[in-house]
Amino acid sequence: MSHNDHNSKATKEPRPPKACGWMAEFENEHDLLHAAEKVRDAGYTKTDAFTPFPVHGIDHALGIKPTILPFIVLCAGLTGLCTALLMQWWMNGVDYKYIISGKPFGITPASIPVSFELTILFSAFTSVLGMLALNGLPKFSNPVFTNPKFDRATDDRFFLYVDSTDKYYNRESVRELLSSVHPSSLDEVLEDASPSELPRGILLGSLLLVLAGLIPAAIVLNMRASFSDLPRWHVFFDMDFQPKKKPQQTTTIFKDGRSMRPQVPGTVSRGQLTNEDPFYLGYDPMKVSSVDGPRQIYVSATDTVLETLQPPAGGDGGTALNLPWLEKLPVEANEANIKLGKTKYETYCSACHGYAGFGDGLVAKRAASLAQDTWTTPTSLHADRVQKQPVGQIFHTISKGQGKMASYASSLTPQERWSIVLYVRALQRSRNAKIEDVPVEQRSGLTDAQAPKTDGQ
Amino acid sequence: MTSKYDLETIELPAKWKASTLFTLGLILVFIGAVLGIFMKGQGSGESAEFKHLIHSYLANFMFIMTIALGALFFILIQFVSRAGWSTSIRRIAELLMWTIPFLAVLFVPILVAVWSGRSVPYEWNAPEQVHSSVVKAKIDIGYLTKEWFTIRSVLYFGLWTAMAWFFYGHSRKQDESGDVEHSLARQKWAGPCIMIFALSVSFAAFDWVMSIDADWYSTIFGVYVFAAGMMAFFATMILISMALQNAGKVRAFISVEHFHDMGKFMFGFIMFWSYIAFSQLLLYWYGNIPEETYWFAVRLKDGWQYLAYALIPLHFAIPFLGTISRHVRRHRLGLTFWAAWAIVVHWLDMTFLVMPNAGPANFIALVGHFIGGAGMFAIFLSLFLVRAAKAPLVPMKDPRLPEALTYANPLL
Amino acid sequence: MASVPSSYNPREIDNTGDIPGRRAPLITGNQTYSSVTEMVCRVAEDPQPSIWWILFGMSSLTAVMFLSLIGFLIYKGVGIWGNMSPVFWAWPIVNFVFWVGIGHAGTLISAILFLFRQNWRTSINRAAEAMTIFAVICAAIYPGIHVGRAWLAFWLLPYPSLNLWMWPQFRSPLLWDVFAVGTYASTSLVFWYMGMIPDLATYRDRAKSPLKRFIYGLLCLGWTGSSRHWLVYEKAYTLLAALAAPLVLSVHTVVSFDFAVSQLPGWHTTIFPPYFVAGAIFSGFAMVVTLLVPMRKIYKLENLITLRHLDNMNKIILATGSLVGLAYGTEFFMAWYSQNQYESFTFINRAFGPYWWAYWIMVTCNVISPQLFWFKWFRTNLVAMWVVSIFVNIGMWFERFVITVTSLSRDFLPSSWGYYSPTLYDGLMFFGSFGVFLTLFLLFCRYLPTIAISEVKGVMSAQEHADHAQAAVLAELQGKDPHTTHGH
Repeated sequence: MSHNDHNSKATKEPRPPKACGWMAEFENEHDLLHAAEKVRDAGYTKTDAFTPFPVHGIDHALGIKPTILPFIVLCAGLTGLCTALLMQWWMNGVDYKYIISGKPFGITPASIPVSFELTILFSAFTSVLGMLALNGLPKFSNPVFTNPKFDRATDDRFFLYVDSTDKYYNRESVRELLSSVHPSSLDEVLEDASPSELPRGILLGSLLLVLAGLIPAAIVLNMRASFSDLPRWHVFFDMDFQPKKKPQQTTTIFKDGRSMRPQVPGTVSRGQLTNEDPFYLGYDPMKVSSVDGPRQIYVSATDTVLETLQPPAGGDGGTALNLPWLEKLPVEANEANIKLGKTKYETYCSACHGYAGFGDGLVAKRAASLAQDTWTTPTSLHADRVQKQPVGQIFHTISKGQGKMASYASSLTPQERWSIVLYVRALQRSRNAKIEDVPVEQRSGLTDAQAPKTDGQ
Repeated sequence: MTSKYDLETIELPAKWKASTLFTLGLILVFIGAVLGIFMKGQGSGESAEFKHLIHSYLANFMFIMTIALGALFFILIQFVSRAGWSTSIRRIAELLMWTIPFLAVLFVPILVAVWSGRSVPYEWNAPEQVHSSVVKAKIDIGYLTKEWFTIRSVLYFGLWTAMAWFFYGHSRKQDESGDVEHSLARQKWAGPCIMIFALSVSFAAFDWVMSIDADWYSTIFGVYVFAAGMMAFFATMILISMALQNAGKVRAFISVEHFHDMGKFMFGFIMFWSYIAFSQLLLYWYGNIPEETYWFAVRLKDGWQYLAYALIPLHFAIPFLGTISRHVRRHRLGLTFWAAWAIVVHWLDMTFLVMPNAGPANFIALVGHFIGGAGMFAIFLSLFLVRAAKAPLVPMKDPRLPEALTYANPLL
Repeated sequence: MASVPSSYNPREIDNTGDIPGRRAPLITGNQTYSSVTEMVCRVAEDPQPSIWWILFGMSSLTAVMFLSLIGFLIYKGVGIWGNMSPVFWAWPIVNFVFWVGIGHAGTLISAILFLFRQNWRTSINRAAEAMTIFAVICAAIYPGIHVGRAWLAFWLLPYPSLNLWMWPQFRSPLLWDVFAVGTYASTSLVFWYMGMIPDLATYRDRAKSPLKRFIYGLLCLGWTGSSRHWLVYEKAYTLLAALAAPLVLSVHTVVSFDFAVSQLPGWHTTIFPPYFVAGAIFSGFAMVVTLLVPMRKIYKLENLITLRHLDNMNKIILATGSLVGLAYGTEFFMAWYSQNQYESFTFINRAFGPYWWAYWIMVTCNVISPQLFWFKWFRTNLVAMWVVSIFVNIGMWFERFVITVTSLSRDFLPSSWGYYSPTLYDGLMFFGSFGVFLTLFLLFCRYLPTIAISEVKGVMSAQEHADHAQAAVLAELQGKDPHTTHGH
């Protein structure tokens, strides 16, 4: 039986129930407001009105202060916001970083939706729970429920209540005051005398339910802690036993009985084409045997294998590999190529080797000024060793890197790399140029420009 | 016995002269233009000074145009929803809306720039200087040409003027006859007008602002401009109403409840603008496609990045927290402050949309741009005064007026 | 059977007209507070009409079929669906977005209309909120079963896992969905429940049997109608409304992000967030009309859910339908304007490609059919509006189908192109979700207050109060009129 149940339970109790206050009933909200103002003006503060809907102006008529709920909700909202931001920053920015479509870690525009939702979630639940807390709900036992007339407080009647704990409360004067506003009924509210403990049946029933609810959890816990000899229970049979073959297994489908299939004759593997063309390598793989017989086999495999044959970097920048380097540029030495080479050289090479190729690029200068001992000074392209290198070897250096220098194969196409080689050759030539190399019609200007320079010195 | 609804209080204060304000506006625009000219020119093609000035003019024009469009939308939505609360403030909005024909005149300089074959502010206007293949393709389809641009602009102004004329006309006629039919006619046509409004504003935003970057496109752009304008419109309404009341007018007609509601709408559109702006940013940031992100890239360099980042607190976080409380919205000084704030950030927003295309940020030129913006706003208000001098400030015979004078805000 | 109160008037009263200056009553038939209580409580107190039992029988059978199919799906795997390369996001996601969209009207009516002081919401908000929750339940099922291993769906939540030692990926819009739909479902639930507390107290106080009194007494948490409680309650309700309004927008915005943050033509467009929200409101209101038109008839609630309520909802359907149409147009325009060949191809493919039929069903149902609501006859004729609302429901389902399937079926690589066809399971499972939805809704009608009784009464009282105040002001205004008196 419920606490709310007031069906003449009170009569069974031996002690007469205590009075809690007076309750006046009204037909409409106007009479209620009028009465409430009167009660307020008489100085009563432990008052309340019970209405089927919120009556406009009743807060003023009863002198009820505004609630602090909005402030609580604001705090909860900010808590939600901070929780969401901290959570995302910690989980994806610190504790478990991983790259998703190149997006930065930590707080980004992508963190806004979740932050917004958690702000709302915290605020919304706080406003509901805060409302219940501020109103002291749930409260199932309430003296006002002892009067059967009060059932209409949620239908069409309006009640005004003065509590006996009010400091001005006097049973008779309150009764007189409330009678003077002509209520349709006036009753004394008696305390709820129904038994306060839970009925035995409900208690037992809920206990049993709780116990029954623990059974599945207990089974799971037991299974997690114990061992079993029985085979696994296959719920998803076709997932656990999929109709497929793994490597090194037999099969009856093919005549040779192997589940692995050999390559179809004539298959061309990725990169095979470029590994045989000197244009992509800087040397002629077919002539490797003439230089270094036993290594022929490696060359016909992938080019990377050659890498392991390179002597360790160091010293003066590595010993020249003994390979059949191309001596002649495979690209034409025209204006377009030299311009391409210049652009690419200045983009990729000049940072270390310098615009003129002396190994004095900005990076090299800065590294030198920082005195980093791990830094290897870039080679001057005008060094005798480099001047003597065949074009193929320079190409190979650009493609594969050397010493500290990284490979530029992924940044530059072979055409561009050859153009750089062409440009490097042009740079080298320019350091050793004679006046005869300059076209006749431009010589005069050069000699003029040199004249004052020499004068000045 | 004196009624508080005195007819004298619904006239414009005698001291408020449109001509004074207009002159002030012209002077400010002139000063702004001079400062713009004296900026140190850089860049090629069109002279940097002209480029700056025409962009500045367009930004400042959009600054006031969006407010007038906000007024038009406000009127339309009041009749669609048969609202009663707004009746006593509706005339002020109607007068703001009725400045649209004047604003059409203010658009002429843009058309002149287009017809003189300039490549600014619209790069598509000079096809021979265009390098981007996308822009070339766009010019080829014949949408972005000076003829069609002009036809569409005239059409927009025609539609808006027709709507404003219809709604203002009926309102004024009702002032005399008090006939309910005038309200019913407006209720009847407000629905279709909203559809036309939505379509025309969206496309006007595409044509006038978005096509400055002829490469770039965003389907939400019209909504963005609309949201920005609505916020500024409510701010303008609050400022005008406050000023009128301080001059002793309409005190009985515009109550704290109206300010509270206008404050709520301003707050709402601050949020709505942020929502739209964030949606656009997030989708382009996440998609990370160069032809879409470059619009942001232009706005995140050359000094404009300070403006772009500043908009987040200035246009969202600070005014959001500032106007979230009902106490602020019901506080005269507080609300006035935030309304003024909203107008300034709306100007910043329009600057953000237009000015980065004129080249790197230049402090002196921006000061000139700001003074010019203030001048344009003064001119806009003077146009409002021109209209307001001829009409009472409250539609006294509107049958819904009693509702506006008695309603009270519930708890929020 | 049903005890009809004397105030009940079976005639449809046209209260849609609103003479400016005199608000037409929101509820018809000269209701009193007690007659409103009577009319609403009768729905749950009287024996249910036979149509309820027929509908409940059919829908619960359908729901059982749906649940069995989910079991089969988990056993057999998602291969029973038609999802196949390149269309892996097919009916499950379409159904998810469809149901989530429908789930928008309830909280919209409750929250946004509340903030705009649209008092007519009071007669329909409860049923709409209930519908919202049931629709969100249906929606949440689909991503749950679409993940394949439904029993591991909790991995989506950020809990400190000792086995995995990893966290969810917060830059994924699918995870935002978990948060958005989760927040929306739980907030809508508490909003709905909190709104019901005073009405549950009414049910409690009218209950004849002690058991009912006990259960409703527990549910209403001992509500007394104390003014001190009402004050905090109203504040909390207002705050919830203010929180729920942006929440409604955010949920479908996040759903639109699922599509729009990708780079797929037809998905990656900035108008998606507001356009999805408008579409969601559109479909939600259509579903409310679909449910309320029969409901008010069956339970004789015509005086509370009047033609005016339906008329207003139909106007919102018209407005949002036109907005959706505008968004379709803007997308098409932008595909042409941007001269982006991928975008252009996608949109031409939508309208004239292999799924042209879906596209044109969508346009007919979503853009053209609501235009009928420009005419008052359609807005106030029950059959007509019900048919249009069904069309809108169909159209909005096809909208999600068009967006999802047409874009996915045409990959950037033409060699990956494909044509998606659903299987019987797809169809049955979609049909089955309606069983769950209707079963829950019928149970709601049977046991819970279908109309916000206290709010309707509050509006009755407020309207009376406002009428008096306005009459007084009108007298003063007219007294001041120079034509009638000299004043002073």
